[in-house]
Amino acid sequence: MAEKRKFARKYCKYCEAKVEYIDYKDAKILRHSLSERYKIMPRRLTGNCKRHQEMVELAIKRARATAVIPYIIDTQKVVAVPFEQLQQ
Amino acid sequence: MRHYELLVVVKPTLTVEELQAKLSFLKEILEKNGAVIAATLEMGTRKLAYQIDKFERGTYVVFYFTAPTAAIAEVERLIRITEEFIRFMTVKFENQKELRFWNKQVEKITKKSDVAPVVESKEIVEEQQATTEA
Repeated sequence: MAEKRKFARKYCKYCEAKVEYIDYKDAKILRHSLSERYKIMPRRLTGNCKRHQEMVELAIKRARATAVIPYIIDTQKVVAVPFEQLQQ
Repeated sequence: MRHYELLVVVKPTLTVEELQAKLSFLKEILEKNGAVIAATLEMGTRKLAYQIDKFERGTYVVFYFTAPTAAIAEVERLIRITEEFIRFMTVKFENQKELRFWNKQVEKITKKSDVAPVVESKEIVEEQQATTEA
């Protein structure tokens, strides 16, 4: 429930910013649609519109394949500042 | 001719000359297959999100080009053979919005490379003025 409250005001942030194309190399734009464990967040929680959600999904999958963002987060090996380049 | 973007991740262990040699090799392949390179962007060496072939870091280079569709298969085949390229990603840009982004990126990169030397020369001029004043 805590997560639900976080996304109480539902609107598509990508529509608001008038994003035409989501670049998979830019982890900063993708971060909004990813959970803490770098899973793709569902539309009902982020409030993304369908068009942008599909663009984000594709971009995230491409970013994972090119090691821009991780597939999974290792819970066994905990580092002090993981993925510091992603948290700009 | 279609619009494409090609990202390659190069091994971080290469020296500057080796890297440039590999990149010019890739450019040659592209041009041999009928591609016209619009812009190249070297994103530098950055940390990978996960290990690839035991490497923690990788050098990212992006090419923006137009090419006939048959060229892509051949280029990808050669990239797979070359050991120095540890990852690659080809993206096709088709509809109006995607093409607009492609053009914007090319413009941004070419502008940057144009602006950079101008700024340098300005600094040199300023330095010269400073020295003459002194």
